[in-house]
Amino acid sequence: MTLLRTQGLTAGYGPLTVLEGIDIEVNEGEIVVMLGANGAGKTTTMRAISGVMPRQGIIEYEGRAIQKASPDAIVRGGIAQVPQGRGTFPELSVADNMRAGAYVRRDSAASVQADLEKWFEVFPRLAERHAQRAGSLSGGEQQMLAIARALMSRPKLLLCDEPSMGLAPLITQELFHVIERLNRDEGLSVLLVEQNANLAMHMASRVYLLETGRIVASGSAAELGADDTIRKAYLGF
Amino acid sequence: MALFLQRLVDGLAEGSIYALLALGLVIIYRGTGHLNFAQGEMALFSTYTVYQFGEWGVPIGIAVLLGMCVGFVLGAATEVVLVRPISKKSPFAVFIVTIGMFQLLNWLDGAIWGGQQLPSTAMGSKQVKFPSLFPSNPDDYFTVFGAAITWRSFCILALVLVIGAVLYLLFNYTKLGLAMRAVASNSESAKLVGIRTSTVLMFSWGIAAAIGALGGVVFAGLTTNVNQSLMFQVFIYASAAATLGGFDSPGGAVVGGLSIGVIQNLAAGYADEWVGQEMKVGVAFLVILAVLLLRPSGLFGTSKVERV
Repeated sequence: MTLLRTQGLTAGYGPLTVLEGIDIEVNEGEIVVMLGANGAGKTTTMRAISGVMPRQGIIEYEGRAIQKASPDAIVRGGIAQVPQGRGTFPELSVADNMRAGAYVRRDSAASVQADLEKWFEVFPRLAERHAQRAGSLSGGEQQMLAIARALMSRPKLLLCDEPSMGLAPLITQELFHVIERLNRDEGLSVLLVEQNANLAMHMASRVYLLETGRIVASGSAAELGADDTIRKAYLGF
Repeated sequence: MALFLQRLVDGLAEGSIYALLALGLVIIYRGTGHLNFAQGEMALFSTYTVYQFGEWGVPIGIAVLLGMCVGFVLGAATEVVLVRPISKKSPFAVFIVTIGMFQLLNWLDGAIWGGQQLPSTAMGSKQVKFPSLFPSNPDDYFTVFGAAITWRSFCILALVLVIGAVLYLLFNYTKLGLAMRAVASNSESAKLVGIRTSTVLMFSWGIAAAIGALGGVVFAGLTTNVNQSLMFQVFIYASAAATLGGFDSPGGAVVGGLSIGVIQNLAAGYADEWVGQEMKVGVAFLVILAVLLLRPSGLFGTSKVERV
């Protein structure tokens, strides 16, 4: 079943159009990877879906049009974003960062606390540092925190904006394992944009290729990997 | 010793008023990075309305609460109507807008209540003087170690500590407080977790102006009148207090305000040969200069340090 679908999604900054009408789909239970170089429009795609910038075209989530919805309505609907460059609240404690992630929830403080403890079990290093300021964590820990914070809103769809940025390959690998596990165990659907194709393609159900604001290719990881020009440009072998 | 204690407590009381205004400045600055130049004048407008409620026979306690509500609405409306649309165009323009607000509000005070000191029997005021929230007769004092501490100074200091504690609880133990801290820390991420940042900023401006209103009323109670230039100096001291404490630290604003009050009073008291009442401002600013040379972000301000 289609969870998210965009049609002719256009967005930009002032006079500058970054996305020139993209059509993508994320089905329930999938990990969809969108590959693109710097400036291709990956972050813009994420921000447009989350509703934090002006956008035109159609965005459908669970069959409902959300292109006019406010960011808080979109989060409440079940789409959470892990922003680029981690985007934690550096002055807030780790635990407060996660509580902020549960901001849109209307259920009891006790059930928010229960979720907090649940994710602390999944991310034990965050539990150790729960009272520390987020800004004092290492890059990898901050990225984990950004994911944990997004999970606190109980999303169905997780948008990950270049989680590997600035991280050592081993840490990136660990991070992607976590995302795969969340997808498998929690049924979380994921739309992940990356520049670093190698690792991301391993776990992708489907891949889109974004170039200067347009989708230029799409298919399974195997299909795109078999294409010589794509392999050379994005996988480097 | 007795004299020292007396001067200390009077300095703390004076500093409490700067602290209240400085708290307002810090709350707005944390949320948006704007320096609200009209903070003092917003407080003054609310103080005039407290005078007006007094004229209508409203007891001072209730008049102050009403004045704080007027302040809240004034602050929130300023954010929604002026600051929000303009900050999208240019953050610097917001500073100019708050200067405009400063002039507009001061003109409005004059247009409504006239240029005289109020209350004034010549102007037909029913009140004899601006009501004080706290006992302020000459014999309302108690003695500690031989020092005569006025109840008024004591209560003003207690008031600012209570306000500080309430804000601390608001920031650290409520959902609104969490949202305010999140917006201050990273407003894009705050939007992404579903915080309506514009609503939070509206509340921040409202709360800041309500606290400022309280500061204005307490100060008018000290000077026993309200007039158009009442808040000019207070605003300058409050800005200094916020700078000293660190512009993003509410606790720093309180400590900064109290310190400036104390330094001024002690300097004027002990070195009145060469400091005196005229120059006491200068001493406070010298101290601030020294602190900022050593700690550019203020006593409790955070210099942005983040591992990547």
